[in-house]
Amino acid sequence: MAVETPAKPSLADKIYDKMFHNYVWKSIFRTGYPNTPRNQMLVVATNVFLHLHPTRIHRTHVKITHTYCLGGLSFFMFLGLTVTGILLMFYYVPSVERAYLDMQNITTTVQFGQLMRNMHRWMAHAMVILVFLHMMRVFYTGAYKAPREFNWVVGVILLVLTFLLSFTGYLLPWDQLAFWAITVGTNIAGSAPVLGPKTRFWLLGGFEVGPDSLIRFYTLHVIGLPLLAAIFMAVHFWRIRRDGGLARPL
Amino acid sequence: MATAVVARPVARPQARARDEEVLVWPDLVFVEFISALLFTVTLFFLSAVMNAPLLDQANADVTPNPSKAPWYLLNLQELLLHMNAAMAGIIIPTVWLIILGAFPYFDRDNDGQGVWFGTEGAVKLTIVSAIIGFVGTWLLIFWDSGKIAAWLNDYFAVSGGDTFRFLENVRALQQQLPWPDWSREITYLPFNLRILDGTGTSGPTAFQNLDFPGWLVEQAIPIAVIVGLPCLMIYAMWRLGWIVTRRDALLALFSGFVASYGVLTLVGTAFRGQGQDLVFPWDLKVSEGIPGQE
Repeated sequence: MAVETPAKPSLADKIYDKMFHNYVWKSIFRTGYPNTPRNQMLVVATNVFLHLHPTRIHRTHVKITHTYCLGGLSFFMFLGLTVTGILLMFYYVPSVERAYLDMQNITTTVQFGQLMRNMHRWMAHAMVILVFLHMMRVFYTGAYKAPREFNWVVGVILLVLTFLLSFTGYLLPWDQLAFWAITVGTNIAGSAPVLGPKTRFWLLGGFEVGPDSLIRFYTLHVIGLPLLAAIFMAVHFWRIRRDGGLARPL
Repeated sequence: MATAVVARPVARPQARARDEEVLVWPDLVFVEFISALLFTVTLFFLSAVMNAPLLDQANADVTPNPSKAPWYLLNLQELLLHMNAAMAGIIIPTVWLIILGAFPYFDRDNDGQGVWFGTEGAVKLTIVSAIIGFVGTWLLIFWDSGKIAAWLNDYFAVSGGDTFRFLENVRALQQQLPWPDWSREITYLPFNLRILDGTGTSGPTAFQNLDFPGWLVEQAIPIAVIVGLPCLMIYAMWRLGWIVTRRDALLALFSGFVASYGVLTLVGTAFRGQGQDLVFPWDLKVSEGIPGQE
């Protein structure tokens, strides 16, 4: 009697099996390879990073022209700025004596220092532009309407925080561009009625841009404002899900 | 009592249309991954070919001319040239941000949600109000720089002479008109109101007298222009029948704002030279403020 024997597994199959079907791998990734609808949903639902997303989404929302990924890219810029920012923090000391020298060191002696600095700078500009464009996208698609009213307000706050993040970073190179831009910028803040002079003094830690301003801007730039922005981003993303995902026609 | 609970028409998330849905993995995750990758590559490339600026070390004694704020604040710095500093720098942006945040509470209709320009006539409203915002802002900047009067004189030999000099720009209204002395110091408070003392730069902050021409030029006219012209545009569009719903009004307002904001940022960045004079971008030179090298 002829018996059909299954083909022997190839070497590739064996390697695959050893890599992905072992005890350690399975302890990290509980779900199997996402090649079935069930696993594809599980991989999104059980991964801490991917679970920001729902497991399924309306087909109109994956069209690139619906959102142009602007919100996601703004967040991506924030992440990139965090990474490049941390790398720059290794070499930068926010004191008047060292700040400018450190900038020169970063751009001349530190390996990839110039690249990191450039990335940080251009990403910061990109984030301001992307956040603004994201606001325009939300407005022109009418996505601020009920039930997403509050998330629009959170978005406006995030827009302001983005400006402030960029503004506080502007002083740190301690060159002429930084110094005078912050002087002009804080003069604008200082012109506010009643509270202006106090606000300016509080921001600068004095009557003009000096050592105390540098440490204040630095602290706000690297921890105060990013923390605040992260909190509002968490609310923003959470509310997208709670309010039923992206807006679509009724 | 349970019956006392009244159902309010609060908007709720829409019911899902499951048969219209696709899986996030791979349909969305891959789109996100590709766009993140594209941006990473583009920014790496940009960073490789273009260095972030680093000028000389900060020096409080050497003032570059012009001194400019970061580019995204240059719209405010541009406004600052035309009106009272507190208004341009603080009050107008703050009020505008509050208005912006209040958009969804003003426009409560769900019509046109989730589609680009979903309401009737939205594209037309957007384009027309953006053009009005763009042209209007440029014209106002030209007028206030005195360029319009200069051009009329240079190219058409039209000149109002001294009689109409007060129309050259908004400042001229204050300087060229024969204001009586009393109008420059109208006492409106019988006591000297001190708001904040010891702020360092200018000593005690006091409000007692009103400089009427100054108030007119720095506050009244700018605010009338900034509030009045958009209102006029929306009113005209309403009379034309273009604006019917609140969404339409917001479309006109927001598009006008975006265009005007863009022009202000552009002018502040690329068209303001030494002494904040209006120049062409190719004539824009920055003097580093070093004596002998200006």
